[in-house]
Amino acid sequence: MMFWRYAGRRLAQTVITLFLLLTIMFVMFRLIPGDPTTMLLGTGELPPEAQQQLRAAWGLDRPMWEQYLSYLANLARGDLGLSLYFRRPVMEVVLPMLGNTLILMAPILVIALAIGIWAGAYLGWHRGERVEQIGSLIALLPRALPIFWIAILLLMLFSYKLGWFPIGGMREQFFYPETWIQALPGYDLAMHLALPVIAGAIYFISDPLMITRTAMLEVRGEDYMQFARAQGLSNRRLRQVARRNAFLPVLTYIAIMVGFALGGQVLLEYVFSWPGMGRLMVNSVAQRDYPVAQATFFLMAAVVIILNFIVDLLYGWLDPRIAYD
Amino acid sequence: MSFNPMDSELTRRRLLQFLGALGITSVSGATLAGLEGAIREAHAQAAPGSVMPKLQAMSPNWPDMIEIWRQVTRDYAELGIDVEVQQGTLDTWVSQVVGEHKLPHLVSMSWGGAPDRMDPDFFLNEILNSKRAAKGGLNYGHYENPEYDKAANAQRVEVDEEKRRALVMEAQAIAAKDNPLMVLFHRDIIQAYNKAKFKGVTPIFGNGIGYPYAPLAYMGIEALTPRKMVKVTSIYDIASLNPFLTPEVYNSSILRLMYATFVTRDKDANIMPWAAESWTLVDPTTMDIVLRPNQTFHDGKPVTVEDVKFTFDYILKWKFPALARVVDSVKSAEITGDNTVRLKLNQPYAAFVPNVLGYAFIAPKHVWEKVPGDSGLASPADWPNDQPIGSGPWKYVEWRKGEYLNLAAHKEFFMPAKLDALVMLPVPAIENQIGMMERGEADVFGWTMDVTQGKRLGQNPEIEIVQTPTHGLHEIRFNLVMPPLDNPALRLALQHATDRKKYLDIIFSGAGTLANNSLITPVLKQWSNPDVPNPEPSLDKARQVLKDAGFTWDGNGKLKLPS
Repeated sequence: MMFWRYAGRRLAQTVITLFLLLTIMFVMFRLIPGDPTTMLLGTGELPPEAQQQLRAAWGLDRPMWEQYLSYLANLARGDLGLSLYFRRPVMEVVLPMLGNTLILMAPILVIALAIGIWAGAYLGWHRGERVEQIGSLIALLPRALPIFWIAILLLMLFSYKLGWFPIGGMREQFFYPETWIQALPGYDLAMHLALPVIAGAIYFISDPLMITRTAMLEVRGEDYMQFARAQGLSNRRLRQVARRNAFLPVLTYIAIMVGFALGGQVLLEYVFSWPGMGRLMVNSVAQRDYPVAQATFFLMAAVVIILNFIVDLLYGWLDPRIAYD
Repeated sequence: MSFNPMDSELTRRRLLQFLGALGITSVSGATLAGLEGAIREAHAQAAPGSVMPKLQAMSPNWPDMIEIWRQVTRDYAELGIDVEVQQGTLDTWVSQVVGEHKLPHLVSMSWGGAPDRMDPDFFLNEILNSKRAAKGGLNYGHYENPEYDKAANAQRVEVDEEKRRALVMEAQAIAAKDNPLMVLFHRDIIQAYNKAKFKGVTPIFGNGIGYPYAPLAYMGIEALTPRKMVKVTSIYDIASLNPFLTPEVYNSSILRLMYATFVTRDKDANIMPWAAESWTLVDPTTMDIVLRPNQTFHDGKPVTVEDVKFTFDYILKWKFPALARVVDSVKSAEITGDNTVRLKLNQPYAAFVPNVLGYAFIAPKHVWEKVPGDSGLASPADWPNDQPIGSGPWKYVEWRKGEYLNLAAHKEFFMPAKLDALVMLPVPAIENQIGMMERGEADVFGWTMDVTQGKRLGQNPEIEIVQTPTHGLHEIRFNLVMPPLDNPALRLALQHATDRKKYLDIIFSGAGTLANNSLITPVLKQWSNPDVPNPEPSLDKARQVLKDAGFTWDGNGKLKLPS
């Protein structure tokens, strides 16, 4: 009973947050000076008179509250509007880029989380030992390096010097396999994915690692661990128990990480010419393409908020004490 | 290990370039706050006789611009003038400076070599005519001189070429006397191609070998290997396949590879016939176009005068903002023969042939007469046009956003391409484009690089570096309505203190043409006025000019305003 009341309250909060988010984002992008027609002025190709005509045609000359209401009305019908830059429905612009970003970010997340959680638990368990001191240092290092720097180093070594991987992009558009290995399905994509995934995984590994390590340290000191040890459980079994309990804070972090991953990694995409969400978001802001900017930022934020909601419910279920707050 | 200052200078510049590229990610807000502050500072007027306030400047955050300001700041400091530079992303720059005319004392910009800027009308009228001194116009320095306007307006409607030339020269002379801006130089385009795989690559003035502005650029390329396809890099991707939608230069140029214009430019920037065989100005407001016979659209249907008339009618009916120049100048189109269309103009327009016949294109009537139809779209400009059908030398095959655009040669075109296919690759980082050239992943470098990059890439025995002059330019604009820059003596002194040759040598290794205190490059001999007053670079002259105008210096060598 308590659990359902807790779930209901959190659901209401989530819905309100999402609505506020929509509104803030609507206003925020319009506060940036200039509108989607302004960028065309800079080249002199669009005379100022034609700009006014375009603003009227795109409804940009109407008062902001009017634009906001029609935005909400369209949204309620599931219509995100037309991209002002591409002049196509927003979803037609966003979905392919989202797909490209998922292809890039999914392996990065899986690798970073798998290695990070495992190594974090290991280091936490071996607190104070030499392996933990050196390990923590190595784990923190990539977090301190800019992601584009890691990416450029990898490119320099494996593409420019050794020539093992292509310099960028997502695929060779006229790919003719020469050996049976190259003829394997997905070979070309895998070659293009390799470097950005390695760069991303190196960069993303530190957070889950350090969080798991800290959580592990806390759990290790808990009374129930003392008790388990007193019961004579094997070291391996003890570590299993500790790892499971240390997982809670990592779960929260995963929710945030997935959300940001959907937004892509602008710098990573830039360096590897990857056609993903990050570049789309940056360009949509620079072009003042409000509908696309709103949709992409909202998508990213909504995933974080909704995943957080799910994680909270999971928490309430995993650790019933939380639901009683 | 020895330390070579030249090396470290290069590395630093490379780093700057990269950081500049990353600048696209910086948030506009920070620069905006800075700009507001700079303008407030600039407005804070010092009393006559007191030390001159710092000159506030606004610049796009591009590496070459940052380098220019580094040099300018140093030189002006010699005169006792302090300059503070505010950098912003291009979108901030455009929305503030052009959109709002919100600018401090000095503003820098560079203009690329779009084909319609070859005709003197663009620079003379868009940048310095007082009718463009309103928000949204490019005369954001607010240069207003009725005498200048008269000459600039007159050359626009003067269809006699000799008379027009005299007016163009006059306009340049008037502007050069008033010093509303400092044109620094016309930086060369430096591009590259793979000479082991291709020959017949022809540089075109203002376009080089890689830009799509001049469709002729790719026509002569021949493959030396069985792969009859050329891959060209660019930092941009297109946004749309609809030729009625976009006024953006790169996008509209790509579409004009598919949709043939009536005329185009040859390698020396002369106008040459394209879809039109010839044209005659019957009287100042009547133009007859003779369509080249036996042309076909990409779907096999013949190109007829019906299609030509339809396209003009369509543009006039829908008043597409992207084709504003056509809408403004054409009144009507009538078929007057099997291959002839007569255009009536609203007023005489000297640049009609290059800027309207070189920009308008032929759209197939059988496709567009059904658009928007009952699609519910407000305008045909919103039509996605997923399968563009034109009559140009290249036909559409496939576009993957952010990845590539594939075009195939339209072999029925009167001057068919020697290759079978053309691939445009958007690669946002220039270093990556260079890397792809070295690795053979791309065949033509379609952007522009600096001299050092060119030298490095040129060491590859398969790569040929091509340097082409352009009419594009770098300039620093004076805000003429903000004291103390309303003082002509100060502007003249700054001209004297600005050593263009030194900057061109240091920043671009001399690869370019020095400007002649005019917006028109000296390379365009028929339009450039060689006799305009051109202040020579000399700090002594600058000091003299200031002294003569009543400026003085305080004990620390800071410039004081005249009392």
